[in-house]
Parts: sequence; structure tokens; C-alpha cells
Amino acid sequence: MSTGGEGGGGGGGLTIFRYLAKYRGMDSVFKALSDPTRRRVLQLLRQRPMSAGELSEHFPVSKPTMSAHFAVLAGAGLIAAEKTGRTITYRLKMSVVEDALLGFAHTLGWGKKKGAEGKAGGNSGNRWRAIKKEA
Amino acid sequence: MESKPTWYYFAPTLLALGGVLVAANAYERPGRMGPWGAAAAVLAGMALALGAVTRGTQENAGRRRAAESVRAAIVFGGLILVFTLSMTLAKALGTGETGNASERVTMAILGAFLVFTGNAIPKALAPMSGNADREASVQATQRLAGWTWVVTGMAYALGWLVLPRTVAEPMSFVLLPAAMLLIIFQVVRLRRTGQRTA
Repeated sequence: MSTGGEGGGGGGGLTIFRYLAKYRGMDSVFKALSDPTRRRVLQLLRQRPMSAGELSEHFPVSKPTMSAHFAVLAGAGLIAAEKTGRTITYRLKMSVVEDALLGFAHTLGWGKKKGAEGKAGGNSGNRWRAIKKEA
Repeated sequence: MESKPTWYYFAPTLLALGGVLVAANAYERPGRMGPWGAAAAVLAGMALALGAVTRGTQENAGRRRAAESVRAAIVFGGLILVFTLSMTLAKALGTGETGNASERVTMAILGAFLVFTGNAIPKALAPMSGNADREASVQATQRLAGWTWVVTGMAYALGWLVLPRTVAEPMSFVLLPAAMLLIIFQVVRLRRTGQRTA
């Protein structure tokens, strides 16, 4: 299995961890948790299951962007969607380890870029394309 | 064809190793056929269960999850058996007195099993009831149960690995029932809330 062409040398130990993360499907979890918006979605879902509309109200971003975020979270197996009529309800599907990782990610501020705060809605076209690509 | 991950082969490997160890133990101490027969019967039961979950249909997510939990239980059970049989064989061969290391490691494996099962509790979702309050309570209870089980398992395993036996033994007598009582209390509270809101 390829590990991203890191080859031998000094990065051997790290390569094993990356391999394990990829192999156990954890890379998608890390990717999902690296975005502050997605972390906020998970924190909101910790309170109770919510519909896509309810969740979107908390963010100044377009619906397609939110849908792409939901897709990334669902792809990582962190949330589950249930459709009743025309409403999609999302609920948490995080193991204890993933829950703890969310706590760490939030505390350490993973994926936070300087000056990115409050810009979630800005340039939403580019952002949406980036998230779609991730998903 | 989809290739199976490495851990998929842990259970059959452990069972095969267990079989070899039972045979070696029986060869070394043929006078004690009772325990070796019992160990062989347990291994055979585990092999049958493993065969059943491997052959069974895996199309349904619930069945797949059940098969995974059976497989995990076999891995942990197999680990305990293999470790105990190895220690017994080492003792029979006179390769050193291990004190209570066997008991400690067995208890630590049990603790690891608690961590493993607790970790998966919040991920096991039942179909939604349509009642938002109840859904929130169910989720909170599952998260609490998962965290309680994981923390208990970690404390249990760590306690048996590092604490003196005189402390580790009463600790495990207190820890497990306390965790169980906490979870039962939460489930009862959830049921009462559900009956009130229904």
C-alpha cells in the first residue's frame, strides 16, 4: 500500500502512523475534524439531533456549502442522516475516541487559519469548491 | 474482490495458536486432561461462532455490526486464552516463575475489552422515534454510557497493570459495579422520561 511516496529514511515512524490512520479510516475523521465549521456542527449535534435547516441557521454560509460539510462528516461516519418527508435530520454517530478527538481538535484549534475567523461566508464559491473537492 | 484488513485474521490466528497451546500443554501435563479439554471446547465454540459470522450475510448494517462485535469478542477472548495457556506452558516447561503476571495481564485484557465495547456504544444508533426530546435523551445516555465504560475499562486495565494486587482487586470490585449502576440509573431515567412524554 502506498503511503504517499514518503519512502524510507527518517520518516519511518511517522509513516507507520499515517499508514494506520489511513488504513483504519481515520484519515477521513481527521480531515472532517480539521475544519472549524464542521467541528461546530458536531458540537451543536452533541446537544440533540437537528435538521439540516436548523444547523444551517447557525452559520453564515450558503446551503450548498453546508451540504458539502454534512457530506464530509457523514463520509467520515461522524454523523448519520435520516430523511423524514422533506426534512433531513442529522445526529451524532461518534465513538468515544472520535468524541475525544473532537475535544482535542477544538482545544488545539486544528485547521484554524490566521484571519479566517468570521470569513466563513466570504468567497463562498471558492470555499464550496474546496469542500466539494474534499468530500 | 475486496481485500480483508489485517485485523480480520486476528481471530482465526488466535484460535489456531490456542489450539497449538492446548495440545502442547496436554503433551506436557497429560494428567490434567480436564482443563485442557475445557479449553479445547471453548476454542471449538469460538471457532464455530467465528465460522457462523463469517458465513452469514453481511448486507444489512445491523448484522454487519453484530458480526464485528462477535469477532471482537473472539479476539479478546482468544487473547486471554492464548496468554493464559502460554503462561501455563511456560510454567510446565520450568522457564521461570511469573508470579501473578498472568492474572494481571488477563485483567488488563478485560479492561481493554471494556474500552473497546464502550467506545462503540455511542455509534450504535437505533431508528429515530420522531420525538426530539427523547432523541436528545437517548443520545446523551449513549454518550454517557460509552464514556463511563471507556474510562472504567482504562482505569481497570491500568489499575491491574500498575497497582499492588491488594489494591487492584478491591478496585475492580468497586469500579465495575459502580459503572454498571451509573449506566442502569441513566437508562431507567431515560425510560421514565420516555413514558412521561409518550
